Amino acid sequence: MKLLLRFFAALLAAAVTFAARAANELNLFGWSEYVPQAVIDGFTEETGIKVNFETYASNEELISKLVAGGGNYDLIQPSDYAAEAMIRQNLLAPLDLKRLHNLKNIDPEFLHRPHDPDGRFTVPYMSGTVGIVVNTGKVKTPIKGYRDVFQPAFKDRIVVLNDNREIVSWALDTLGLPINTITPENLAKVRPVIAEWVKLVKVFDSDSPKTALLNGDVDLGVVWSGEAAILWHQDKRFQYVIPAEGAHQFLDLLAIPATAKNKDAAHDFIDYILRPEVSKLISDAFPYTNPNREAHRLLSTEALDNPASYPHGDGGKLESFRDIGKAAADIDRLMTDLKSAR
Amino acid sequence: MLFLSTMSPVAALRFRVPTGLRALRLFLGGWTAAVFVFLYAPIVVLVAYSFNASRLNVLWQGFTLEWYRRVWENAPLLRAAQNSLVIACISTVLSVVLGTVGAWLLHRYQFRGTRGIQTLAAIPMVMPEILMGISLLIFFAAAGLRLGFSTVIIGHVTFSFPFVLVAVQARLRGLDPALEEAALDLGATPARAFWLVIVPCLRPAIVAGALMAFSLSWDELIVTFFTTSAASATLPIRVFGMAKVGLNPMLNALSAMFVVATAVIVLFSAYVRKLSR
Amino acid sequence: MDTLATPAATSLAAAPAIDRRTPRWRAWLLLTPMIVWLVAFVVAPTAILFVYSFCERDELGRVVFSFTLENYQRVSDPIYLRIFLRSIGYAGLTTAICVVVGYPVAYCIGRASEVWRQRLLLLVMVPFWTSFLIRTYAWITILKQEGLLNGALQAMALVASPLDLLYTPFAVVIGLVYAYLPFMMLPIYGSVEKLDGSLIEAAHDLGAGPLRAFSSVIIPLTMPGIAAGTLLVFVPAIGMFAITDLLGGARVPLIGNVIQNQFMQARDWPFGAALGMVFMGLFAVSYWLLQLRGGASDELHG
Repeated sequence: MKLLLRFFAALLAAAVTFAARAANELNLFGWSEYVPQAVIDGFTEETGIKVNFETYASNEELISKLVAGGGNYDLIQPSDYAAEAMIRQNLLAPLDLKRLHNLKNIDPEFLHRPHDPDGRFTVPYMSGTVGIVVNTGKVKTPIKGYRDVFQPAFKDRIVVLNDNREIVSWALDTLGLPINTITPENLAKVRPVIAEWVKLVKVFDSDSPKTALLNGDVDLGVVWSGEAAILWHQDKRFQYVIPAEGAHQFLDLLAIPATAKNKDAAHDFIDYILRPEVSKLISDAFPYTNPNREAHRLLSTEALDNPASYPHGDGGKLESFRDIGKAAADIDRLMTDLKSAR
Repeated sequence: MLFLSTMSPVAALRFRVPTGLRALRLFLGGWTAAVFVFLYAPIVVLVAYSFNASRLNVLWQGFTLEWYRRVWENAPLLRAAQNSLVIACISTVLSVVLGTVGAWLLHRYQFRGTRGIQTLAAIPMVMPEILMGISLLIFFAAAGLRLGFSTVIIGHVTFSFPFVLVAVQARLRGLDPALEEAALDLGATPARAFWLVIVPCLRPAIVAGALMAFSLSWDELIVTFFTTSAASATLPIRVFGMAKVGLNPMLNALSAMFVVATAVIVLFSAYVRKLSR
Repeated sequence: MDTLATPAATSLAAAPAIDRRTPRWRAWLLLTPMIVWLVAFVVAPTAILFVYSFCERDELGRVVFSFTLENYQRVSDPIYLRIFLRSIGYAGLTTAICVVVGYPVAYCIGRASEVWRQRLLLLVMVPFWTSFLIRTYAWITILKQEGLLNGALQAMALVASPLDLLYTPFAVVIGLVYAYLPFMMLPIYGSVEKLDGSLIEAAHDLGAGPLRAFSSVIIPLTMPGIAAGTLLVFVPAIGMFAITDLLGGARVPLIGNVIQNQFMQARDWPFGAALGMVFMGLFAVSYWLLQLRGGASDELHG
């Protein structure tokens, strides 16, 4: 009997300690594979704060789950246009910039972007572009822009992102129209352009367009720079080009939801990410463009040479996406119509 | 031949097998073999690529056992697999109970509103996963339920149990009502009659339903995403995230191990039972 | 024996004592868990979506609770009808192929010896306990231009140049059949397993050839299984979109894609809810009517 009592006392004590430790946890909601396990483990080792890493695969999933009332997250990773929408809806908490000592490591070029001009709510995490990747082993003609890609000669040899807004923005670029002005008139103008393009595309894939390229089922495409970087790493014949007509540059961020319970731990984590050696780990796993200047010094020459990660500057103008509100539905209707017309 | 063994030796002697019938049986056997080849073709490829030296799982670049080692070092992946297993097992059991009892009651008794209940029970089969996921999330949030294992299991049971229901009902259609009558005449309560007489008759359909429910739960992504917490993340959620970086052969290794383990259990358990006889 | 019984309809056949079929409070009590489950986790969430379908979205993508029929008016656009019909087409084709391909296998397994029956059944399911994405990528490896199938065909000199298999409707159908075959085979197995061997013997003794025995005796007896399998394949397959995305290159949107998009990229939840309501409503009405017909024919033949 005494043994039983002691046993239960021990259990209770253990439960209490678990509960006490449970108080200092960080609920991170981020892109899968965007935060390497080594980074998370390093943070836990140093601070003792347990990180509960929940993942999503698109900004829209992030917003959907947040808006539907799910979960209490302390830290999230929205992209710029998603963050813009969330700031306007008062979903993000202002940052305590005094706690972010390592913020000075970030290249100023990435601060004060239109979605958050004062940098009060977000911290740059990784940047990238959407551009053209060409298998120069198969394609011998020079490819400089969208018009070069969508040629009848390449029918059924093209892969593009399965992202309606991206495709519309490329068409707007080729017509010289601003990519964030989604009006019915502009949509009517791009409609014939996209109608032609859709007939030439073999694969629409936002998750892993590199698969089709590596498999040799397609020869060129318009994809995320990270995908192109992985391809280049695998086979140097995959060249990356920023389209001459203009391209989308995105910035992924760290932000704290207004409903976060553990804002302190969130700030600590952000500051930890901003360290050069930690940022380098992320770049190793993810060959996107690292906005951390100090981290650049630690990157290998091969990483810095990667034309997809660190483009050489020739190519068209880079622009960010802005939140377009209701127009997103119009884009969806247009693309659904054009795709199903096959 | 597999099929003749269903009959007793005496009957086999008595029963002359017409050549046409034998031809038909050969054809059926061959067809079955071909379908199994079809079912296992991607599995063979999957297992082969688990030894692929290339990280990108697309091109073959040499043989290695590296990925099998790495699986055991990847704690989040293993935890996700464990979660998937636990959730699938629990939701299968609940689905089977709900589906079997429901099917029996709807068959045995004439409820007012049977058609309505029947239609309602079939709705989860047709409901697109995104709708189920988001609406369940909103419901849980409104009800104040915390996300985690229980909410995931609720979601899984909801879309699985109609499959059990339909499978069991199909079997019930041809069930001889005299069976239950006989049991009741012999003095059994309806509950005992159900458990001791009906359920054994339904066993193949229950097994079929359980297998479907398990497979549905194991692979489910969207509803799980909206109803899970970080602690209860399942394997599909992990796997889909990895697609962006390139599907790691680690996942092939994990799948291969699971397939081999299950196949071994399937073949082994028969021998264990034989030994214990 | 009624051979045209509709799937999963309540059997009204052979009711020995009508009063025994009337449920007493104990039966209602046992049914309560299922009813509660249905109300809480099917009716309530559907009601939420129903309310959403009459709402609007504001500039920021939030749902605004103001009554409007605009969403349902948009659903009537012919684009969506075309997409819906195409989805039904794929689902129907998949179901048909699954029946033809799966029935002989289910029959073999059902008629096998006790030991082999269990083994074969589990061996049928084991491939589906690998991860869906890995399985599908394995199919990509098989079907791609420089893939295994093309390689084998070329090695056997059956084709001169690689066939264009991947990212076509052909690949999509293969993927769909592969995914849904077990859901056809398992219910049929359930029906086959209880086939009385003596009935088939009797058919043979009466002079029926093997094919005739099959078509006149075996298939009608296993019809409930076929019907159940059809239901379990056709209905979920209409809303399936992941396979068309992966194996079909996402070139052609199906109704599942469209609804998904409304909650994701387009951030138009009310419209997505409306599409879903129409989709589910059409199913519910068809299913309800099928049950009525099934009940009537049961009484006729019962």
